[in-house]
Amino acid sequence: MLSGVEKILFLLLTLASLGGAFFTFRTMFRLIARGQEPLDWSRIPGRLGTGLMVFLTQKTLFRTRPIVGFLHALVAWGFTLYMLVNVIDVLEGLVTGFQFLPHHWLGALYRVFVDVFSVLVLVGVAFFLIRRFVTGDLRLLTENRVLMEPATRQGIRTDSMIVGVFILLHVGFRLIGASFDVAQQGGDLYQPAATFLGKAWCGFTPGMLETGRHVGWWGALGLILAFIPYFPYSKHAHLFMGPLNHMVSPDADSPAALPALDFEQEDVEQFGTGRLNDLSQKQLLDAYACIMCNRCQDQCPAYTTGKQLSPSAIEINKRYYLKQHGKDWMSTGNIPDEKLTQWMVSEEAAWSCTTCAFCVEVCPVGNTPLLDILTTRQDLVMMESDFPQDAMEVFNKLETYGNPWGLSSRDREKWMEGLEVPLFREKKSAEYLYWVGCAGAYDSRGKDISRAMVTILKQAGVDFAVLGTEETCTGDSARRIGNEYLFQMLAAQNRETLEKYSFQTIITQCPHCFSTLKNDYARLGMHFDVLHHTQFIARLIDQGSLSLSDRDLQAVTFHDPCYLGRHNREFNAPREVLNRLVATESAVREMPRNRSRSYCCGAGGGNMWYEINRGQRINQARFLEAAETGAETVVTACNFCLLMMEDAMKVTNHEDRMRVRDLAELVADRLQA
Amino acid sequence: MKIGVLIKQVPGSEASLRILPDHSWIDESTLEFEMNESDSYALEEALQIVEREGDGEVVAISMGPEPRTTKVLREALAKGAHRAIHIVESPPYEIDPLLVGHIIKNAIAEEHFDLLFSGLQSNDLSQGQTGLVVGELLGMNTATLVMATEMQDDHIRVKRELEGRWFQWVTIPLPAVLTIQSGINQPRYPSLKGIMGAKKKEIRIVPKETVLPEVEKTQSFGSIYIPQKEKKTVMIEGDATTVVQKLVDVFKHEIKIL
Repeated sequence: MLSGVEKILFLLLTLASLGGAFFTFRTMFRLIARGQEPLDWSRIPGRLGTGLMVFLTQKTLFRTRPIVGFLHALVAWGFTLYMLVNVIDVLEGLVTGFQFLPHHWLGALYRVFVDVFSVLVLVGVAFFLIRRFVTGDLRLLTENRVLMEPATRQGIRTDSMIVGVFILLHVGFRLIGASFDVAQQGGDLYQPAATFLGKAWCGFTPGMLETGRHVGWWGALGLILAFIPYFPYSKHAHLFMGPLNHMVSPDADSPAALPALDFEQEDVEQFGTGRLNDLSQKQLLDAYACIMCNRCQDQCPAYTTGKQLSPSAIEINKRYYLKQHGKDWMSTGNIPDEKLTQWMVSEEAAWSCTTCAFCVEVCPVGNTPLLDILTTRQDLVMMESDFPQDAMEVFNKLETYGNPWGLSSRDREKWMEGLEVPLFREKKSAEYLYWVGCAGAYDSRGKDISRAMVTILKQAGVDFAVLGTEETCTGDSARRIGNEYLFQMLAAQNRETLEKYSFQTIITQCPHCFSTLKNDYARLGMHFDVLHHTQFIARLIDQGSLSLSDRDLQAVTFHDPCYLGRHNREFNAPREVLNRLVATESAVREMPRNRSRSYCCGAGGGNMWYEINRGQRINQARFLEAAETGAETVVTACNFCLLMMEDAMKVTNHEDRMRVRDLAELVADRLQA
Repeated sequence: MKIGVLIKQVPGSEASLRILPDHSWIDESTLEFEMNESDSYALEEALQIVEREGDGEVVAISMGPEPRTTKVLREALAKGAHRAIHIVESPPYEIDPLLVGHIIKNAIAEEHFDLLFSGLQSNDLSQGQTGLVVGELLGMNTATLVMATEMQDDHIRVKRELEGRWFQWVTIPLPAVLTIQSGINQPRYPSLKGIMGAKKKEIRIVPKETVLPEVEKTQSFGSIYIPQKEKKTVMIEGDATTVVQKLVDVFKHEIKIL
């Protein structure tokens, strides 16, 4: 189809495009390579299937916003198809007389497919452009209270516009080219859209039609050539970086269980992330993978209650900061002097995070803004000594008393007065180690749960014992607040205690103790078999070890604790137990946000211990959601959730008609002597 | 500028205290100890002065047994004190402030501090004497209940807390001893660098026996006990003169307040 001159021009432009792409992609990967802690490329062969599935099925898009996700899938599939179409178009252009199976049914199918998909992609992209620039979906915006440079805010719009217009023009030119082609042939049954459009050219001379075909061809393919080197600068890089991110990310257990820091290494000068160069390669890759869809922001408990935090803003800020400073950083090695808290996430925003991991859960491209927050907190705590005053008090209490309440370790056994709870220091060995936790030992409601647990364990005839005064805080709060050093001190203390005794499995009633003993201690080389009490109780019921009285519980709703659910994927055990207690199955009323989409109570990540005085209270937002189900009893399985929900119940004046119970309490209530 | 800070280790405010069976002292065996509250403010003030002046040394001084004293001194070093002096003591612990003052004086006399800080009082015995006694024994100027400090060449200007929300500014020449009131500043939390660095800083060990003074003990514990609640009414009858006479008698001999 192309003339000789055009062919030479096309080949030259292709070379220029590929050359340009080589340099821009190299720059992007070199920037990522400047990060700390190398990406684990060795995972890729084993995860090729994962990456491909993410790309082909678009399944990560459907975790939230299913309709938008579907439209994205249309664009993505259409775009992928277009890569093949582009190859055929190039062949048609370069090889005189080439047509893709013009007389075969496969060729016909191909033509229908391309024709219809062209229209679908155009509709899809037009929808996205209208949504972003005309109707202005609020979910695509980040409120001004969130730290973000005005240039970045503008950059998001520009970037979206460029990508949108590129797709629109590329596919549009392709369709126009096809319409001229079809007009030349006098219509094609298998290209209805192109035929329809081709009617507009009636009255054109054959020469004009041929010119039109060339214009369409060059418009479509020329744009591709122009766009390829631009890829790394646009958010379209997510097309490669998203699947790549899924392939190189560490195996996920709890996303908050960071790798342990090594304090023995004396040459390490920096712990946590303070400046750009402290970020890991994964943290830099995240920035390129982010498509700025703000799904993470939709249900971030901090953002949705009016705090300064937006997880997506963290990735977006990194992206534009790299755009601005990356080249200089790479060529001169000069580390930008600004702290991350000046441009990536404000200090207040970092402290607002409850580490609920919703952002990690829903990100379609596998980003982990939660890690950026946790490592930034490590810098603030350990390098800068700059954190909320109340958090300092918690550190002091943990250091002096081994519990965040700051109560004497001598009083750790007070809750068990009159209960005859077996102690490891007397028994030395038991099948199960019941880890009571600080809340279970000191908080008045926590003690209720501990007593309920003892009743259950005793009735089931479980061989168990507790550590009593020898138990110390697992260090969950310390670690999430960023005090890794204190966390490791507490963990070392517990290691010493745990190594003294013989047991097979640890049972905890606190999901924070559970996750820390299970995942965080594993990072320190301590591997335990740990069960949450909901899992253990479900097992006891299954085995018929508990004799429960009649089902009578009416109108309940279950609040998933983040560290049981999202962090450790246990959604069923508590519901199975609950189903054994309710009068009818319909008595369990799920909140709109449940299971992996559950909304945090507001206490996680150390937020139990300090206040962020901005916006609405997270626990109240969650409690009202529970109240709206019409439930009389809000059931949970975490000491902190229980306290937060009870507090919200009182503040929102629901005390007279609702109550908050731990699952273990409900089970203990129903035990028959 | 060389500043010494006297730091005591005291049972944590939430520690549950039990009295030894022989009533000689509290049972310390499983007690949590921490840096005395007002001493941590004294330390912070010393660190801030040295930081403001841009030059100087802060020396943390504590008297007590292992391991709690080392723990508190390491904390001070982690926060930024340059070195520490540990007067090692084993039970029975000295509680007579005059004797304690003499022991500390003997241990630190050669240091020739420009300033010596202590907290206003300890959270356990609350005698409020040690800083003053050491100051007196070393012949230094003293100011108590300090709420703010300002360095002025070889003087220090301090804001003292008086009764009834009154304050007083005094300027005293160096060397001087100040007892610091809680709330004067915001004590810091040690950075990791500080904690790591503290491991390498010097703690000079001074056994108490080597610095014992030749002074007579003026105070000792009789018996430690939890205040007993008791209700006792005595009716005094008779005419006014007899009642007054009997009342004075009770004040003088029974409850000994006259």
